[in-house]
Amino acid sequence: MKFYPYKRLNRPIALRVMSATLKLPDGTFDPLDTSAYSVPQRTVALGVAQHEDWISARIGLSATLPPGATDADAPWSGLRVLAVLTDGDTNLRTTVELRQDAPDSKEWSGQIEVLRDDHAGRASLAAYAVATVDGVEGRSITETDADWTVDVVSEEPLGGLRLDVKQAGFSKSAREWLRPYADVPWVIDTSGRLPLVMINTDVEGFSDLLGGNGGGIENKIHELLLSQMATDVWTAVFHSAVGDLEVEPDGSPVFPTDWRGEVLREMLPDVAPGLHVEEALRRVHRRRTDDTGWVELQTRIHYAAVRRAGASKAVANALRALQQMNREDSE
Amino acid sequence: MIERPHHVPERLGLLSGAAADPFLTEDLLRGVQGHGGVDLAKVVEPLPEDDARWAVEPLRDLVDDAMFQFKENRTDADGWLAPRLHATLRLTRREAADKRIWNHIALAVAPDYVAWRHLPTASEGKVPRINPVRFMGAPDRQCFSRLWWAAEMFRNGADYTPVVRACSNQDLIHNSLRVSLVDHRPTAQALVRILERGTATTGREINGLITAINTAGATVIYDAFAEDEPRDPWALRQWITDAESAPPVPRHVLPTGPDEEPVREDSVAKLTEYFADLFETAPVRGRTP
Repeated sequence: MKFYPYKRLNRPIALRVMSATLKLPDGTFDPLDTSAYSVPQRTVALGVAQHEDWISARIGLSATLPPGATDADAPWSGLRVLAVLTDGDTNLRTTVELRQDAPDSKEWSGQIEVLRDDHAGRASLAAYAVATVDGVEGRSITETDADWTVDVVSEEPLGGLRLDVKQAGFSKSAREWLRPYADVPWVIDTSGRLPLVMINTDVEGFSDLLGGNGGGIENKIHELLLSQMATDVWTAVFHSAVGDLEVEPDGSPVFPTDWRGEVLREMLPDVAPGLHVEEALRRVHRRRTDDTGWVELQTRIHYAAVRRAGASKAVANALRALQQMNREDSE
Repeated sequence: MIERPHHVPERLGLLSGAAADPFLTEDLLRGVQGHGGVDLAKVVEPLPEDDARWAVEPLRDLVDDAMFQFKENRTDADGWLAPRLHATLRLTRREAADKRIWNHIALAVAPDYVAWRHLPTASEGKVPRINPVRFMGAPDRQCFSRLWWAAEMFRNGADYTPVVRACSNQDLIHNSLRVSLVDHRPTAQALVRILERGTATTGREINGLITAINTAGATVIYDAFAEDEPRDPWALRQWITDAESAPPVPRHVLPTGPDEEPVREDSVAKLTEYFADLFETAPVRGRTP
């Protein structure tokens, strides 16, 4: 638990997205319907197929402060509520002040503007209640405990790891770097903004199998292959995330802000169980950069990847389908 | 020695990390020999034809001029090149966040500049190599993207003067970009002012100050008392459109950036005082309290 040298509220702010409207190049506005944002996923998806060229989006926000913030005898003065949008990919920080709905109300609301040119993928949205405490201006007396994600590309408000999946015949692809890999069904490239899975359509029937909705055993093999690919992806992204860490002057690693950070937060509890993620990252980083312990960690990394890829379920389903098929054959 | 590639492309393109990797050879990193450029061109994804910003020549001319002018003191090239690179490329932050464009500039357009600016170094007993992150790496380390971001974060609207000041302290541009402190424009301007006033000047002092600001920032929201102007998307878009007819950037005076609102003076002044106070008590390596 963090220690604060001043009085604070011990409960967080509840922040909700109430609306999202796109501003288009011709000056008109397109209000997005409620499917563009999800409260359980805390995500707003601003990618809409028809309007790739939007200029900005206006997001309507509502924040509820915990009890005690507006008490007359509270140990602070000059209470304000700020919504802050940050984006680690583009070093962007936008702040707006929310307005109190009524005097002494716990409800505050306002709008934040998201400019399309300022974001490549996902930005985070948080709210802070700030006040003057013991003569110090700008103290945060409570904040949101989990950020909202504003995704400028996605069409659906989904959290978690996002992948780019593309298909190409590796041996003749215009992407010449794929040619040396012509003899494998897929490769993974984690060097970009999103992890990319390239599917090799030179493997005959492969893309039909992956794209098909056929029933029976084909379905199960499809599922099995996807989980195999997903295992590869999770393993690759984990390695690329820990392999590319920024380090503080004191040697402790910094959580990346892009998808690498999401991957680490997601997988570290399985890789180094029982530790807080920050401590888990320090341990993994030490193991990788010191002389010992990295090899021993591989089993845990693989375990974390297999769990996320849903391999157990896919294997069990495939086995059951095989048994069923054998039974039908023998009848 | 790494020389200008035999084949320099005419247009900028996108070079993915996976595609670029085979060209990051041991010979290149040791500064022995670069590549011809022809094979590399095959793995580059083109950018749209009709955009004047993707012409390579103005960029190539800039790095040639920088190498000529700063051959005696290569670190000083940063402060000269950063604003001019920024005003030549005219990128949105969204475009600049794509590492592939920086990979292409470093490997296809000006690998000789990367090798010139970031000489091979080695710890005792090892073969000297150029740090590969200077070609392809984090935005605050890669040879060209670090300059572009320094210019973007430290410019005050259209005025690049603070960028030149900021680049005179390598620790300032490196560490402040890394901890995303300067995402808040008034903070960036206040840091430059601290440097100008001589309150903190050495690398150690700047590092100590940045750590102190960062630590205090965990409980104090600087935006609350040092407000910034809202961003205007049209100023930048207009500047980008003007790239079509823009002459090469001036060499002797600073170029002019996009016509955005400068940071509010009262915010900068307030934060400068605040940081100066923080610095009084900040732990700095080698400073006796």
